[in-house]
Amino acid sequence: MIRRALSHSGLVLACLIVLLPILWVFRTSLVPDHASYSTDLLPQPTLENYRVLFAEKQFGTNYLNSLIVSILSVVLSMPLAAMTGYAFARFRTGGKAARFATLASQMLPPVALALPVFMLYRAAGLTNSLTGLTLVYAAINLPFLTWILMGFFESIPEDLEGAAMTDGATRWGAFWRIVLPVAAPGIMAAAVLGFILSWNEFLFALILGGSKTATVPVALAALQTSNGVQISQVSAGVSLAILPLLIAVRFIQKYLVQGLSFGSVK
Amino acid sequence: MTAITLDNISRDYGCGIFGVRDVSLAIDEGEFMVLLGPSGCGKSTTLRMIAGLEVITSGRIRIGARDVTELAPRSRNVAVVFQSYALYPHMSVRENMRFGMKMRGTPLDEQDRRIADAAEILGLDPYLDRKPGALSGGQRQRVALGRAMVREPDVFLMDEPLSNLDAKLRGEMRQELVKLHRRLGKTMVFVTHDHVEAMTMGDRICIMRDGQIEQVGPPLEVYANPTNTFVAQFLASPAMNLIPARLTAAGGGLGITAGPLAGALPAREAALYARAAAEPAILGLRAEDVLTAPGPATLPVSGKVIVREALGAENLIGIETDGVTLSARTERQFLPAFGDQVTLHADMSQMHLFNAATGVAYPKGT
Ligand SMILES: Nc1ncnc2c1ncn2[C@@H]1O[C@H](COP(=O)(O)OP(=O)(O)OP(=O)(O)O)[C@@H](O)[C@H]1O
Ligand SMILES: [Mg+2]
Repeated sequence: MIRRALSHSGLVLACLIVLLPILWVFRTSLVPDHASYSTDLLPQPTLENYRVLFAEKQFGTNYLNSLIVSILSVVLSMPLAAMTGYAFARFRTGGKAARFATLASQMLPPVALALPVFMLYRAAGLTNSLTGLTLVYAAINLPFLTWILMGFFESIPEDLEGAAMTDGATRWGAFWRIVLPVAAPGIMAAAVLGFILSWNEFLFALILGGSKTATVPVALAALQTSNGVQISQVSAGVSLAILPLLIAVRFIQKYLVQGLSFGSVK
Repeated sequence: MTAITLDNISRDYGCGIFGVRDVSLAIDEGEFMVLLGPSGCGKSTTLRMIAGLEVITSGRIRIGARDVTELAPRSRNVAVVFQSYALYPHMSVRENMRFGMKMRGTPLDEQDRRIADAAEILGLDPYLDRKPGALSGGQRQRVALGRAMVREPDVFLMDEPLSNLDAKLRGEMRQELVKLHRRLGKTMVFVTHDHVEAMTMGDRICIMRDGQIEQVGPPLEVYANPTNTFVAQFLASPAMNLIPARLTAAGGGLGITAGPLAGALPAREAALYARAAAEPAILGLRAEDVLTAPGPATLPVSGKVIVREALGAENLIGIETDGVTLSARTERQFLPAFGDQVTLHADMSQMHLFNAATGVAYPKGT
């Protein structure tokens, strides 16, 4: 009994260490600016910060921009990543070089790409547009998702496709009807990770976007004005920014766990 | 016409590594052909080449009158039962069986009829709506078989389908498969590394080693006349006793000295192996030809008991003399203790003789 209580209090403590900063941000979003640094729990609770975000800033637009860009970029890159990952996994397309290039692109500091992309975009007239941002995010997601999906496809026994192909399917049919459904948990997990990657991206959004196309991270950064950091409003924005991540992870937790432990299952 | 003809097929992985090398084999229509060999000898590769799942780097394959060498797997009308079963995990048993028929455009009522038939034969009725994950190994194996059956293919290809089953189930499935083959009359190629499966199921067996064929023939014929020491040892358990030997002419007949074994050969064997006199040879004796009582053509061997396995119906006894061991399959009454000195009797009328340098058998008969 005592041991249980002890170990539970240990776990509660560990959870608090992780959760407390987030909870405190949420608390700060509910108090007026002047009380944000006080240690009182909830002096004068108010929704004023949220109202300001939406009514006086354009947080609604920012939020929508983020959603559109993040979702579309995953939708766009996922089919390509699935096919590329499959080709890597099954046909050794491009050999070691292609795999290495895929991995290497993840190690490059984003700044190294930001300037060239900006030049290209300015020439193509793609700056300050959601289309442009979506395309960049899709391009960033592509190698990342390819790498993850390649792992999932490699863990699917090749005999499954052999069975499908002797059963009368083409190679494409086997991929479409057997491999993709079997890899569904992995694909879902990858989609969430890709979404999070785009949702949190800041640098490209800042460089390529304007006020109309600003995403949530850009908008939040803009709250650090020369007049000081409007910490209550930032807190409100952050609270809202976390929301879709919570929903996404909660919604597909099952797939995420399945997908991430895919190799060990079979 | 669904005979399968392999013409000098090879699978070359490059750098001189071959999965299969220059294999030629003619499998008759309706035949149950067993590919037998140790791990890595190229059985699966051969099977996958027939199915079209493996690159054929040289040679040609014909199924019936069709040259299928360049054909995609789906156009060959073969069904494969994989060692891992390869059931589609996201589909129910029923959908697993339906998939192949759906791909081929079989009418729906015909699909249902065939699924019902197969489920009946294989006892799968209670499981039709389960996913493979919720089945036992034996049940999965039957689903894999059912999935192949409903397709009504020209040829069944099976890659060690029984290796994941326990001994009892394996015995049952062995008989079920033979029955199934008799019912369907289809050409079947069955891969295994288990000599009991090969002996009991095959119309003919094809023994492979290192990507090449060592011997092809009806099981009993191969058992009686192995062409070399590899086949002789592989096709039985315990493996055939092989003892370095020397034949010498002695008083009009032929004498043999093989380790602790020495004496005159029976007249028939003396005539047969006269050619081998003075060449270094290897004497082969199956365990069941080492007897506990002397007979008309036996030579005595004495030794110390080092192996003693009582199997119930029979005993396996191994004796050792001067570093040579000899195993015997004896009646169950004969059960000496470890370390006992016993005398056994080698039935020389059943002997095999191999060339020591090449391992190739001296031909029996004329
Ligand atoms: N990709 C490859 N590259 C090089 N060699 C390979 C490759 N794939 C298979 N081999 C070789 O081909 C040979 C035949 O393999 P195969 O799978 O046909 O053996 P098997 O007789 O089915 O063995 P098992 O009983 O273990 O299934 C093996 O020696 C293997 O090492
Ligand atoms: Mg194999």
